[in-house]
Amino acid sequence: MTSLSAPLRRLGELQWRRGFFEWARSDGVTWVYIFKTLLAAFVTLWLAMRLELPQPRTAMITVFIVMQLQSGHVFAKSFYRFLGTIAGSVVTVALIALFAQNTVLFLPSLMIWFGICSAGAVRHRNFKGYGFVLAGYTAAFIGLPALAHPEGAFMAAMWRVLEISLGLIVSTAVSAAILPQSASTSMRNALYQRFGVFAGFVAHGLRGNSQRDAFESTNVRFISEAVGLESLRGVVAFEDPHMRRRSGRVSRLNSEFMAITTRFNALHQLLERIRARGHAEVVTAIEPGLQALATLLDRYAGRALTDADAHQLAEQMALYKEELPSHVRRLRAIFVESNPSEDDLLDFHTAYELLYRFVDELLSYAQTHASLADHSHAREKWDEPFMPQTSWWVSAAAALRAMSVLGLLGSYWIATAWPSGATMTLVAAATVGLSAAAPNPKRMSFQMACGTMLGAVVGFAETFFVFPWIDGFPLLCMVLAPVIVFGAFLASRPQWAGYGLGLLIFFSIGSVPDNVTVYNAYAFINDYIGMVIGMLACAAAGAIILPPNSRWLWSRLEHNLREQVVFAISGKLRGLGSAFESRTRDVLNQAYGLAAGKPEVQRNLLRWMFVVLEVGHAIIELRREQAILPVHPAYAESQSWRQAIRVMGRSLIRLFIQPSRANLERSLAAVDQAIYCVRDTDEPFARHFDTSALRRVQSYLHFIRSSLLDPQSPLAELAPPRPPKD
Amino acid sequence: MPREIAFHGVYMPTMTLMFLVALGVGWALDRFISGLDLYRFFWHPALLRLSLFVCLFGAMALTVYR
Repeated sequence: MTSLSAPLRRLGELQWRRGFFEWARSDGVTWVYIFKTLLAAFVTLWLAMRLELPQPRTAMITVFIVMQLQSGHVFAKSFYRFLGTIAGSVVTVALIALFAQNTVLFLPSLMIWFGICSAGAVRHRNFKGYGFVLAGYTAAFIGLPALAHPEGAFMAAMWRVLEISLGLIVSTAVSAAILPQSASTSMRNALYQRFGVFAGFVAHGLRGNSQRDAFESTNVRFISEAVGLESLRGVVAFEDPHMRRRSGRVSRLNSEFMAITTRFNALHQLLERIRARGHAEVVTAIEPGLQALATLLDRYAGRALTDADAHQLAEQMALYKEELPSHVRRLRAIFVESNPSEDDLLDFHTAYELLYRFVDELLSYAQTHASLADHSHAREKWDEPFMPQTSWWVSAAAALRAMSVLGLLGSYWIATAWPSGATMTLVAAATVGLSAAAPNPKRMSFQMACGTMLGAVVGFAETFFVFPWIDGFPLLCMVLAPVIVFGAFLASRPQWAGYGLGLLIFFSIGSVPDNVTVYNAYAFINDYIGMVIGMLACAAAGAIILPPNSRWLWSRLEHNLREQVVFAISGKLRGLGSAFESRTRDVLNQAYGLAAGKPEVQRNLLRWMFVVLEVGHAIIELRREQAILPVHPAYAESQSWRQAIRVMGRSLIRLFIQPSRANLERSLAAVDQAIYCVRDTDEPFARHFDTSALRRVQSYLHFIRSSLLDPQSPLAELAPPRPPKD
Repeated sequence: MPREIAFHGVYMPTMTLMFLVALGVGWALDRFISGLDLYRFFWHPALLRLSLFVCLFGAMALTVYR
């Protein structure tokens, strides 16, 4: 871009300079995208015609499907599309070789393959999932037309792979080399700005003046950013060698960020509860330490954290952390003089334990961020990857939907021998595949059907009234360009993406000529009718067969969310923290997206997530504490406090799998019992704030107890009305 | 170099093979450059990669069609 700067500087002297740059950043990006799509499509079409591939339009459609605003996405999509196409072709050729003479066997096996692929697509949800989509519908695209003459299946598969590879090569080259919009820039922006938002959020929360709504919405934002950043990281690795060298650190940064948000939420909730109970003396005892941290973070609030800033932040955090223990000891001495109750003292300890760990984790985060400046760094080694979590039910529903659409339309086609039945079936297969990963498949399919109808009308006009008059490739480009520009424009707007995709793909399937143009109006109209019927069938299937935005799915996902506590209690300890954080967030992010437009459901899910994160996180801390205990009889497995904690774990599993009043009461009793047991155990070392393992254990137990009793949590609805304590 | 090579009885253009070899060499070069962090000296890394590939493939193709 630097070579452009000279003419731009002259432009800059004009009045409308600001307006122009704003346009270049927003709408300008869309126009660059449209221009690149157009260029890639025509280069591909020309090459495909020049190389005499049998279906140049397939190559061109590939361009429309993989073209995205940012080049990293194009790389990732192309890579997985290629793998998917190969897998699909191999399977079809094998199926045709096995069942060519027998439709009754061929169609069900194709259906099963398609179901497996749709389930895989939903399970992965990112570009890997896209590979599954392709593996599924490539099989249908090759297999169904080849059913009539199976001897051509192998060549059809070969040609299709070649056509698609051509489209992929051209679109990746165009998107990377011409006016590139890199995904790594947007990832870096997201990463750097996120901390600014977080610093403001923390400073606000520590001072105790954050609103519940703002607290929740900011958390939702952090969650979706954490999930988005992980998928962006996978994309950027394809595109940018600079960021690929830092991939491990970015992953670590994301995981550490999730840990600090959870830790901060825990601290914040605890402070809120203490404040809500109205114990002013506890609050005044805790506050000085919080104020210092809030002022420290104020400096970073609301702006992007650069590498230099991160370095500075790390130094300041290290200093603050060093001073914290002595500071706390002083505050505690003052607090103890006022003769607090045992509960209040526990609150004090727990709050400072959380604060200390929060500061520790923040320091580690800042160090990781600062390490991004180096080309290689010891922090790059990170083996606690982001773990996505998808409910099997969602995948199974997608598989069932895909199989029934393919089965129904395929049998209709075979039963009626409608010549356009093959087109109908395979278009339905493509639509099911492309819309499977969309949050609302019904709407997506319907939009695609509308786009196709528009494509049919335009295509008819072009094929029968315009094409006969033109001659040569440049003129063909001229008449195709308006349709492609319009389609690409629609596709670049998220709310109209379905219309754009439908128009582009299905206009091209029906109306872009091959090397030898065939004019057959009957087949043309029949095919388009078949396509629209196929898509409407998909929309209907999306609405009828286990629709993903309905009640059963939310309750399934809510259950899934609660099961993460079970995972925290019984999962393998190595890498557990990161896995737990990411899985919980991933489930919530999905459920939140599916429940769009239902604020009541979303709120409920969010409240469950807070409880799950708090309790799960505390349990993981407890397990870590127990794993690193020194060898001493007081810490032996057979000690009563360790047994009490195990009993508590079992009761919590029961509670989170089946929340009921009895289970809640049992859990509360178990937690109380554990707290007593820990308190009554003698420890070989002095019971001091930062040296005693048992004091930390007690803090976490107290924290679990206060989470279970939180009036804001969904568990509160189960609890019997309590007389006000104290 | 022959323009076509027989692979298990299937004739395919040498260019196809060259393409794959060029891809492999290009990938190795890319790894080497990014390993030494040399991309920071270039304005447009993606264009550099593409041009390198074109040069490699072109040079190999010249040995066949000349």
